[in-house]
Amino acid sequence: MTLETSLSSGPTLRSSRSSGLIDTRSHRALRDSELLALSWLAPLLLVVAWELAAHLGWIRPQVLPAPSTVVATAWKLLANGTLFEHLGYSMLRAAIGFAIGGSIGFALGILVGFSRLAEALLDRSIQMIRAIPFLALLPLVIVWFGVDEAGKIFLVSLAVMFPIYINTVLGIRQIDLKLLELAKVTGLSLRGRITKIILPGALPSILTGVRYALAVAWLALVIAETIATTKGIGFLAMDAREFLQTNVIVLTIVIYAAIGVLADSAARALERRLLAWHPNYAKGERR
Amino acid sequence: MSLQNNAAVVVRDLHRHYGKRIVIEGLNLRIEPGEFVAMLGESGCGKTTLLRALAGLDPVDGGSIDGPAQPAVVFQEHRLLPWAPLWQNVALGMDTAEGKAKAIAALQEVGLGGRENDWPRNLSGGQAQRVALARALVREPSLLLLDEPFAALDALTRIKMHELIKDLVALHRPGVLLVTHDVDEAIALADRILVMRGGRIASTYEVAAETESGPQSLRHKLLGQLGVTLHERAA
Repeated sequence: MTLETSLSSGPTLRSSRSSGLIDTRSHRALRDSELLALSWLAPLLLVVAWELAAHLGWIRPQVLPAPSTVVATAWKLLANGTLFEHLGYSMLRAAIGFAIGGSIGFALGILVGFSRLAEALLDRSIQMIRAIPFLALLPLVIVWFGVDEAGKIFLVSLAVMFPIYINTVLGIRQIDLKLLELAKVTGLSLRGRITKIILPGALPSILTGVRYALAVAWLALVIAETIATTKGIGFLAMDAREFLQTNVIVLTIVIYAAIGVLADSAARALERRLLAWHPNYAKGERR
Repeated sequence: MSLQNNAAVVVRDLHRHYGKRIVIEGLNLRIEPGEFVAMLGESGCGKTTLLRALAGLDPVDGGSIDGPAQPAVVFQEHRLLPWAPLWQNVALGMDTAEGKAKAIAALQEVGLGGRENDWPRNLSGGQAQRVALARALVREPSLLLLDEPFAALDALTRIKMHELIKDLVALHRPGVLLVTHDVDEAIALADRILVMRGGRIASTYEVAAETESGPQSLRHKLLGQLGVTLHERAA
């Protein structure tokens, strides 16, 4: 009975306190931080449960190693330097592939976005290539590029190109025609139109493309690194599979996830900085 | 420049049609520097078409427009670039170094001094329209085209804007063509009021002469021209 009353009195107390305007605001701030804490609760509980289950012998280490084992593996690989070496290779491939694919996608997007002629000439072909599941290309890529770096970078570039291309075209096409009329009556030069109206106007869409591209770059890399290689996170995972080292396999999965999350936060930080003018990206906004 | 006696703009025998529909048919118009002309007319009478032709936004099918290569335009919507701070919006299309100083001064003139680095999203509707006005006037235009620029503002803000634009036009003395639906606005601002109908100017009123006996009779005449009849109340 006492438990029941204390439970039911909680919310009542709160709602009576939050009736005033100022109270409501502080109340909401509190709730926000609580929600943030709560959002970490489920993953934390999961890890704790996993650890316990491993220790109690409910999960065999060959199936899924305990989180502590994974951390210990990470530590070992960090200490002898192998992790950094493999990570460095993977990051470099992702970066080069992103730079090449991103540049091509952006250039094609600008061209097609501006010119109906370029759209007629290029867009259908690009969409056809996009429709190919790029795993299907893997054998061809190996034939073309061998098992060297070039093939891996090609796969990443190809994956990155499309989201950047599509979102650049979309961003340019969505420019308000009224603003282009304004450009005309203010006597803006063609260069001014592009740098002051079209590109800034297309930027939110382009940055959305960048976020997508970062995600697929990583995805492409995982696949690319399964092609015969001796360096990279993907190699680490393949190698571990051969020897049934589940602890290393889980570690590589965690690394892929962590880098994916980091890349996404970096892209979001870029959005917040470049799109400070945009109401949706204003400071303090959570998306 | 072949402007007769330095008029702000001279339009002769202007024609414009969309397919078979004739929108402007043989229109003549002359605006002197510093003269404020208001153009009234029902929707679809061609007044916006005329303004867009003067602004160089639409082609014409016949006749001539003798005026500045680039008149300044204020549209019904503010059309500020959301990604550019206010001063860049005002200085759009101008040389940057000189433009910034002029833009800051122009923002001062419209009562937004010190806000030059603010974003457009932080402005009210009236403030945004004042920035659009600053953007038009900073170019020191010889012809200023206003396309219902106050239509979307609330009544009080509109009155403030009327006062502001009267002062600024008196100061900078461009020729002004205001396109509007609002008879009272036309009387409050203009030196001369034109009523457009069927692609031509149907009637012209000199505001100073017409309002000697008070603005009410002019108001009635204009509303009558626009097809609005007011029932006289028995006093």
